[in-house]
Amino acid sequence: MQIELALFAKLSARYPVPGSGREPRPLEIEDGTRVGALVERIGLAAEPRITFVNGRHAADDRLLAEGDRLAIFPPIAGG
Amino acid sequence: MSDPSSRAAACPTDQAEVVARLSASAVGIIGLGGLGSNAAMMLARSGVRRFVLADFDRVEGGNLNRQLYFEDQIGRPKTDALAETLRRIQPGIELTIVGERVEPGNLARLFAGVDVLLEAVDSAEDKAMIVATAADELRDVPLVWTSGLAGCGSANSIRTLRVGDGVWVVGDLEADIRDGLPLLAPRVMVAAAHQAHIAARILLGMPDA
Repeated sequence: MQIELALFAKLSARYPVPGSGREPRPLEIEDGTRVGALVERIGLAAEPRITFVNGRHAADDRLLAEGDRLAIFPPIAGG
Repeated sequence: MSDPSSRAAACPTDQAEVVARLSASAVGIIGLGGLGSNAAMMLARSGVRRFVLADFDRVEGGNLNRQLYFEDQIGRPKTDALAETLRRIQPGIELTIVGERVEPGNLARLFAGVDVLLEAVDSAEDKAMIVATAADELRDVPLVWTSGLAGCGSANSIRTLRVGDGVWVVGDLEADIRDGLPLLAPRVMVAAAHQAHIAARILLGMPDA
């Protein structure tokens, strides 16, 4: 199945598929893939991150579905 | 693209109406450093009269380059020092002070009654925790978090971005103090102003907030 993956800011260097700049990219994944498994696949498991699926915060055990929009942000220190 | 006519319809037509509409609202702020202290000041001046303010730190000399504190407040809890300043701006302001660390186990209880919540801490790990907890447990409370305001980059790269249902992020998403970047008062305050402004727009019910 296909989802849309958006990796923000410095995380955009980790896109697992080619694309244009930092724009979101379509990504083929296997049925039954959870957020945490995909995050591990693209090498972000150890990174602090903020993850949304379809505009809602999503935990690593969230099951992804066809057409989902997965967005991952790096929290940046300073305040 | 937003509809200018709907935007005009929602924006108050005079200053008194802004105050009238904001004074009925409560704002929660987690972290009273460069972002939180200045955002609180701007929202108090705009008309917000109820705040829940959380910080467990005390004022230090190194804070005075960008945070809304004064030399004679060094050593005092930031919550108390900021409360004093906000009451000088607006004597009738209603403040709920939280001096404990905000964690997954207490966030929802502490901020359940607010109309908008501002994440204004400095650690990346705490930001991730606050966004995850608030987004999951306070789904009806609009959340504004911050990410990337350090360094000497253009102030124009600080922006407000809606990233989810009821969730906004302010910052350039890049400039990190962990990379050795300094915190400059103007750039930090631009981010604080973005945060306060989107909060005001949310509270005013702007349709394109």
